[in-house]
Amino acid sequence: MAAEAQATAAGGLAGEMEVEAYRRLFPLAFLERHLRESVRPDARRPAEARPTTVALAAVSSAHGSALVRLGDTAMLASIKLEVMSPSGEAPDEGSIAVEFHMPPICSPLVRPGRPAEVAPVISKNLEDILMSSGMLNLKELCLISGKASWLAYLDVYCLNADGSLFDAALISAVAAFTHLEIPLVSVGDDGRVFTVGGNEGKAKYELVNREKRKLTITNVPFSLTCALHKDNVLADPTAEEESIIETSVTIVLDSSDQIVSIQKPGGAVTSMTTIKECISLAKDRRRKLREILMDNVEAMEVDQTD
Amino acid sequence: MSAAATAGTYSPASAAGEKRRERKEELRRHLAEDADWPRADGRSFHDCRPAFMQTGPTTAASGSAYAEFGKTKVIVSVFGPRESKKAMLYSDTGRLNCNVSYTTFATPIRGQGTDNKEYSAMLHKALEGAVMLHTFPKTTVDVFALVLESGGSDLPIIISCASLALADAGIMMYDLVTSVSVSCFGKNIIIDPTSDEEAWQDGSLMVAYMPARKEITQLTLTGEWSDGKITNAVELCMDACSKLCDILRERLKDASSLAE
Repeated sequence: MAAEAQATAAGGLAGEMEVEAYRRLFPLAFLERHLRESVRPDARRPAEARPTTVALAAVSSAHGSALVRLGDTAMLASIKLEVMSPSGEAPDEGSIAVEFHMPPICSPLVRPGRPAEVAPVISKNLEDILMSSGMLNLKELCLISGKASWLAYLDVYCLNADGSLFDAALISAVAAFTHLEIPLVSVGDDGRVFTVGGNEGKAKYELVNREKRKLTITNVPFSLTCALHKDNVLADPTAEEESIIETSVTIVLDSSDQIVSIQKPGGAVTSMTTIKECISLAKDRRRKLREILMDNVEAMEVDQTD
Repeated sequence: MSAAATAGTYSPASAAGEKRRERKEELRRHLAEDADWPRADGRSFHDCRPAFMQTGPTTAASGSAYAEFGKTKVIVSVFGPRESKKAMLYSDTGRLNCNVSYTTFATPIRGQGTDNKEYSAMLHKALEGAVMLHTFPKTTVDVFALVLESGGSDLPIIISCASLALADAGIMMYDLVTSVSVSCFGKNIIIDPTSDEEAWQDGSLMVAYMPARKEITQLTLTGEWSDGKITNAVELCMDACSKLCDILRERLKDASSLAE
């Protein structure tokens, strides 16, 4: 009896090592054997996204910030506001500078000095979507038309890269803008604009923006990335799945379920039926993400009331 | 960066008042000469900030650790032992490669703290005495640190956090390395200074220490110190390092318990 138990234990351990070896040596075959049973290596269904959490006010020195975890992928977004002179073409608008960073701590593929190839791609995508979705009204960032407006620096740091980086980056950027609080500003004697400290009573100069402290967030974009492999659609792929599957498509929808962007960088040829399936999954995902974000915003407001 | 090329940012020009200078001088005298004054966060001279440390925040790395001391937040990842990228001759001992960087929002003014080569070198010097390099010949262990928020005493926290991350990665070490720094105000010594305190200090001293072996891997000193005060400061640091090491060992036990 004891010998049988020991044999079973040894067999179990050997079995685990064999599975791990098979996974490393034949990753594609390993994945396909799972997909045949409609399951993924991390036990998710193909259409299932990983659990997502949002934490607002993660950075105390920033005007708006959010920490987002999408499975093991972690993103930290931070917004800092600076007063600047608006451009001549748009004298009554502020502007936004988006930068996506992949520090070497987040992935074995990133080395210090040389930025990751994917970082500027995500930076550009983030900026395009924030601008084109209509989430932000840049006129709200204007202080004095033609003279002073806000420049919002949005920095998104990837703290752990485990797939679907753009999705996590977009959620964190949206959450950071939701949390953004605009500081009070006054105009000095010399006509210069400067920020006022927390103590409103001390301000001897006229406040420019007493009322407008929060941005009006209208159309909120959310995204879903799907990996496409033969007839399978895998929502929210992990880094392992992304490295095996060469085709992916990212759908971005706004609050009205309208399409803001579809991105499919190369890969195998795909039918419209598959794209429609991805859009349908993205709609479900958008609703869940909106719930998660609203819960956090309400929790934050309750905290501030106390 | 996609900011408009024509856009310029400026900060308000602050008039340097005579009154302000007098107030500043009076404050400096108060800090240096008075024997007892409360610190801004309510600590006494020899109290460290509460330490929160945790292993494993970065699953993509072999080992990682997160540390939070008051407002200072640091995350360290360890990769390897892995093949060296640079073409190098065979070596009987491994290489330790350290890199420290700051986020753009780590400091109150955006973009400060970007020149960190000195910190990377100091982190390397602090750790290489503790890591058994001979156990991974020809390969490299990479230690990457990212300071999420800078609230004072950044480098000692980076060193302690990196030590925890190396242990989490399973790198063989003689002992954990913990580090604490003190600031000098006239005749007063305060431990684990914040950013505001560091801005006013006359001198600073940092000790990186292996408590179980009672060995110092790094000692750096800036400013003016008398001999007696240096001795007191070093002993104060070593005592704090031992207490911090107990916290690190507790975290490692917790992590290994969870793994089972």
